[in-house]
Parts: sequence; structure tokens; C-alpha cells
Amino acid sequence: MKIWPLRFRELGPSRVLFADDAGGYFVSDPAFLQRYVDSALSDTDRKFLYEHGHAFNRVGDLQHTSFTWRWTARQSAREKIAYVILVPTLRCNLTCTYCQVSRAAENAKGYDWDTDTLEAVLGFLDRLETDEIKVEFQGGEPLLRSDLLRRVRDHCRKRFSRSEFVVCTNLQRLGPDEIGFLDAVDTYTSTSLDGGLLHHERYRTRNRALTEEFFENLDTVVQRFGQRVSALPTVDIDDPPEIETLVTAFESYGFSSIYLRPVNYHGFARRRRAQRDDLSRWNAFYDEFIDFLIDRNFQTGHVMEEFYLSLCLRRMLQPGHDGHVDLRNPSLPASDYVLIDFDGRLYPSDEARMLSRIGQIDLSIGTAHDGIDQEAIAARVPSAFNNFDPDCIHCPYQPFCGTDPIDDVSRYRRVDIPRQDTWFCGRQLAVFDKAMSLIYSSDERVLYSLRKWAGLATWPNSLAPEHHDTSAHTS
Amino acid sequence: MIPLRIQVEGATREDPFVVRLSGATADTTISGLWDALLVHSEDEKCAYQTRHGELRLSGIRSSDLAGDVLLVDPTRKVGHRLLRAESPHNAFLVTERCDQICTMCSQPPKRYHVDLFPLFQQAAVLAPKGMTIGITGGEPMLFKDQVFELLRRTLAARPDLSFHVLTNAQHFDETDVGILRELSNGKVLWGVPLYARESSLHDAIVRKPGAFDKLMNSLGVLARGGALIELRTVVLKTNAPALESLAEYVSVQLPFISKWAIMQLENIGFGRMNWDKLFFDNSECFAPIGAAIDVARGRGVNVALYNFPLCTVPESYRAFAAPSISDWKQRYLRECDGCVSRKDCGGFFTWYPEARGFSRLGLEQIEA
Ligand code: SF4
Ligand code: SF4
Repeated sequence: MKIWPLRFRELGPSRVLFADDAGGYFVSDPAFLQRYVDSALSDTDRKFLYEHGHAFNRVGDLQHTSFTWRWTARQSAREKIAYVILVPTLRCNLTCTYCQVSRAAENAKGYDWDTDTLEAVLGFLDRLETDEIKVEFQGGEPLLRSDLLRRVRDHCRKRFSRSEFVVCTNLQRLGPDEIGFLDAVDTYTSTSLDGGLLHHERYRTRNRALTEEFFENLDTVVQRFGQRVSALPTVDIDDPPEIETLVTAFESYGFSSIYLRPVNYHGFARRRRAQRDDLSRWNAFYDEFIDFLIDRNFQTGHVMEEFYLSLCLRRMLQPGHDGHVDLRNPSLPASDYVLIDFDGRLYPSDEARMLSRIGQIDLSIGTAHDGIDQEAIAARVPSAFNNFDPDCIHCPYQPFCGTDPIDDVSRYRRVDIPRQDTWFCGRQLAVFDKAMSLIYSSDERVLYSLRKWAGLATWPNSLAPEHHDTSAHTS
Repeated sequence: MIPLRIQVEGATREDPFVVRLSGATADTTISGLWDALLVHSEDEKCAYQTRHGELRLSGIRSSDLAGDVLLVDPTRKVGHRLLRAESPHNAFLVTERCDQICTMCSQPPKRYHVDLFPLFQQAAVLAPKGMTIGITGGEPMLFKDQVFELLRRTLAARPDLSFHVLTNAQHFDETDVGILRELSNGKVLWGVPLYARESSLHDAIVRKPGAFDKLMNSLGVLARGGALIELRTVVLKTNAPALESLAEYVSVQLPFISKWAIMQLENIGFGRMNWDKLFFDNSECFAPIGAAIDVARGRGVNVALYNFPLCTVPESYRAFAAPSISDWKQRYLRECDGCVSRKDCGGFFTWYPEARGFSRLGLEQIEA
């Protein structure tokens, strides 16, 4: 019998998490770890490993085939571009504190697609290999240019067999024209909701009348478009929203999922801030938020999830689920989505566009006119993998995790920083640790939320495999 | 019940042949060698012009036969409706031989075998556009070369068709990986039964020592050949307690399957003989099935329940129950009259034994 390599990580006193390269995990004890490193496994150990998919007898037997299948299913396949983020204008009618670089004043000139750029964008869409497309309109405030949005949408409806549109809007101005655009079954509204009225006002509108207008508009779209509306909070860890207020606000609009993201400041805004303990404060806030949800779900029976945690849970339990870029490995730029900026330049992500905008580094990967620059892509391939990273190879979470070289560049101006010193890794480790502690919990309240989040009627013990051989003696 | 055999007279040759029946007297869209042109139709009598004489059919309306592919056996004066154009449930029974004797088999094996592969080949090519054709037995893969050839040739000529092959997977080996890859473009679904993760229990159920090990080897071959696999587990009194453990096994060792069908017993063949020993009444106790579903879904395995009347399944699992019983052997009970879920429910097999079946059935359990 041959055993696939195991990585391990201490979860708590006398509890060690083990995982193989295909993401098969179990919890055991330091004694087992000792037997494992000494190559002195007991028969019970070996039987457990074989039965749980961590071993095989010969290349090409069923156990070998299923392991390689599970390993392969965790690698992200390169696909056709089928998701395009469009920034038809950088102008905006708000000046949110988070948003320093990705906006221009409402009446500024030269921050919109001109006719040439529009034509180039439509041409770019025409040349895509896919037959189904998702288009996300970002800004600036994209609804300032609903005329351009209409042109793109009309074009896509004709060009693709299926198309869907998401408008990321601040919902500050909602006249008949804007409502008219959003009122279509293939069009979704996505907005920002940072918590209660005061919080939203402090960071976004800074003006009571505008705040009230936003909440009225949110009411309107939720009432009219129901499930086609979603909202995201942006959290500044220096002044996080009151958790209960945030959850209540989301629930009152009928949302059952909240995606907590920390705002990432760029350029000046970053330099002004002390960042050192940002990460630990973020992780503490996140932890508190999850525990709050778990208690609240159990007490009220109204189930709310944190989007990223639910996704990580699924990714740990099952192969696949690598749609989120932070959980994707390899994470090749422009593998299945791309962003086209107001000036027609292509970027692999929103972050990349902002970094380029503050002049820190040029991360563009072509133009709508000339298409994707394959050389620029090839240059980034090495940092797209976590399989060989000297830290990640020891991490039991590697099969679930991704890589985010752009975040590394944005924070450290380089990609070769030791992984475990990065913000990305620190956040991922915390979320995975949290998810594992929930998977292995026996707390009734936790199990209630796990069942609801996973859509299962019961939470089977086998999702939390344990192995202890108390009769084995360790040298 | 839907008639599958029709009385046919007037054939001018003696050995069996295949024809496709046209829909209307003036139907000129079909004119191939294999087409039978409707020349007369009156109530339940109709006549078709063919290469092999004018066939007179009785007992069914021509409108119910439009597009059907008929296997005519002139000496017995019958036509078998091999492919019914209006039905989603069509299968070729390619042999009645089998090398297992499963305790619940609905079609107990017989020794003799008539080779009809050339006729099946002709029939398949005449199938209506987009049809899924079942290949069943007995054990079809006792005639592995012929089945592979049938699949390969048909799909080359008719890429719009799909196949669903029911096999005990005792006969695949490494040399089949090539042809499986050739057939791996999503058009062939291999339905393979597995009853337990303990080889002794599985072997006892299929009554063949060593079957489990052969099966696991074959599943590996199918996986390496990129085959689509539908794993099928009939729930019995004997394996129900081991179902949750089987679910773990499936998620770890068989993660490449496309679907896991958990099935209720059919009261026919050995299933009828052994009914009292085997029938597991899930309307009384669903827990082992529910646990298996949760394990499988938790691990990302796609699960479906076949042959479960909706009212025997607890609310939270009802979404997995597929209306799987073929139209020609399906019926509903008095309890089903006016049931709100009837349109989504597969009902019962024609031969379902009411007196010895589910103890709890019917509307009162469906709150809607
Ligand atoms: S980035 Fe961190 S959490 Fe992710 S695999 Fe690497 S070491 Fe583990
Ligand atoms: S009573 Fe309704 S749910 Fe039950 S078997 Fe009949 S149709 Fe199905």
C-alpha cells in the first residue's frame, strides 16, 4: 500500500488536521503524526488511510484513479472568456471615501468611452469564442451613461444565444430612464449597502437628503425587481459597521447572503494609514461576524449566510467551486473574464486597473481594439500557481486555496514575498481555520447553520472524519 | 397499458426485418428503403406499403404509430415497437443471458440468445431526432464487441442520438479504454449497479462471488475512458443499513460518476419472488436513505431517487425523487386521485402489490 503525502496543521490542543493533495482531510492526534513521520503506522492507521482515499495499492487501480480524478477536479481549467466587466465611464455622482482612484468628477471631460472605443468594445465582444456571456457594468457610475449600456446590451442580445447583465450602481439617481434600463429579465442590479443609514452616510453620501434618496431607491428596485437585486457591503476595518445593524439592514431588504470584503486602499490613502494590525483586526471582526450569524440563525430561524464562508465550506467538502478568483488555482489572468476600462484598455481584474491607474505598475493586458496581449499574459503565469509555493506546499489548505499576485503587488510591490507574510494568505488561513472549526464542531447552533448553508437535512458525521488509534504505541 | 406488440400480417419475406412507420398517407418526407408508407387507416386497422409487401396492422391507430420503428417477425405475425416516437422510454433488449443472478432482478436471465444486433443497428439509425435509446438485458456486455460496434456506428451516422446502457460492469478491461474514449462525448450513459461497499454483501446480493472486485476494476476502466456513469443502487432490507457507508465510499472512491440513482424495488421477476425478504418500506423509515443522500450531496455527488412515490419521501428529500417509471409499466392508485403532486410523481409499477407495499401512502402526507 502506498500513502499519498499528507500535510498537517495544528488545530488545537492534541488536534491535528491532515490533508492530502486532492483535498481529502481528517483530524487526528500528535501520536498519529509521530507515527506518520516515523513511517511506523499501525494497521488501524493504514486501514483508515486506505478506506478514506489517502492510499492505493498500484498505479491504475480504482483508488489511484479516483485520487487522480479528485486532484484534477481541484485544478482550475482554462476556459473561454465568458464574463466581461465594462467601465463605460469613470465619472460618478458620489465621492465615497473608499473610492479614490476609480472615479472622476461627474462633469469631468475625457473619462467616457468615445465612439471609437464603443465600436472597439463591440468588436471585442464579437470576437469572443463563447456563445453565452455575462456583462458587468462598473464605473464610475455606469448609469450616467445608460445610452452606452443600451448599445452594449442590444448588441449582446443579438450576438449571443444567452446574455446577462449586471449593473453595479450607487442607486443615487433613479429616474424613468434608469428604471427603464434595469427593468428587464436579463438585467440585474447590484449596489452597495454598508450598514445602517448613518454608516452609509458617513462613507458614501455625506448628506442626509442623498442618503434618504438612496434608501428610497433601494426600496423601489427591491420592490420592483425582487430577486434581481443584490447588495454588497464595503467594510473599513478602522471603522467597521455595527454587525447587528448591518445584518438587519440586509434582511430587511430580503437578502439572505452578505459578502464581507475589506476595502483595499490604494496609493495615498494607503500610505496615510497604519496597516500593520489591519489583518488581525479584520480576522477578528470576521470571526465575530460569523459567530453572530450562527447565533442569530439559530435563534430566529431566518437564515443569513456570509457568502465567502459558504463558498469556502463547499470548496473544502467538494471538488470544484473555484468560480471565485481567490479560490482558484491556477489563477491565470484573463482565463475566463476580463475588464475593459473607460479608455479601452484591458485588465485582468478591477484591482489591476486601479493599480495601473495610480501609476504604480502597468498591469494592462491589451486593448479592446487589438485584443489580449498573450505575451503580457505569459509573463504572469508563474505566479498564477500555488502548487509549488514553498509555504503553500506545506499547507493543508492548498488544495482549496488560490493565489492573488495582484493583491501582493498592490500591498508589497512584489510577488515573491513569503506567502505566509501576505495579507492574502493571512486572510485565507483565518477563513479556512474558521470553516474547519465549524465542520468539526458539535455545537447544535453551528450544526444548524451548516445544514442550512449547505442545504442538507442532516449534517453527517462523515463530513468531519476523525482518526485515533489509541492502541497503537509510539516509539 | 401501452401496447408494445402489434399484430402484423402480409409480409412477403420470412425472416425478421425493421421498418419505420410514416405518419400520414400523404407523407412524402420519408422515402428511404426502410420506410413504411401509410396507405390506409381506419380506426384500429391500418396498412403500410413496404419493400416486403403491404403490411396490415390491427389493434392500434396509425396516429399512435407515426414515426415508430417496428421489428416485424413475419412467422409469428407480430411487430415489436422497438422505438416509440412519442415515448422517452425506449430500449433494445439485446440478450437475456446474464452472469449474475441478482436477488431482485426484474428480468431473470435465460440461457438462449438470439442475435438481433444487425436489426438493432438498422432500427437505431431510423430513430427520431434526439432520442435516447436504452440498451438492456440480461447483460448486454456479454456481447461487448457487438455493443461497442452498435454504439460506434450509430453515433457516427446519428450524432443527435444518445444511449443509456444498463450493464453489471463485469466485463470491462484495460483494452476498452480506447473505445470508451472514442465514445466519451457525452452520448453514452453507463448505468451500473452497486449494492454495498462491503464486497461480501454486494456479492451475496448479486449471487456471484468476486463480482464486487470485478465491478471496481471495471468502474476504474470506465472512469479512465471518460465514460458517463450512472451508479444504481436498489434499496433492499439487506443493504439499507449499509447505505450511508456506501455513500461515503461513492464520494471517495467513485467521485467521477455523473449520477447516483438510489432506487426502489420492482415487484417482478426475482423481485416478486423475494419481495417479502427484500422490500424496504421507506414510508415507515427513510432515515438510512436520507443519511446517504446528505453524505453524497455534502460531497458534491449528484443524487436521484428512482421509483419512489413522492408521498413516501419526507418533504425535505422530495426534490430528489424523479418520475422514473417508464410509461408502459406505470400506474397510479386510488390514493392518487386528486393528489396535488400527481403530475410530478412517477406513481407505481403496474405490478406493484398494494397489499404488501408501502404502509403509508397518499394525499394526507402531501401538504400543499
Ligand atoms: S496562500 Fe496561505 S492559506 Fe493559501 S495555500 Fe498558501 S499557505 Fe495555505
Ligand atoms: S398519492 Fe400522489 S404522491 Fe402518492 S403516489 Fe399517488 S400521485 Fe404520487
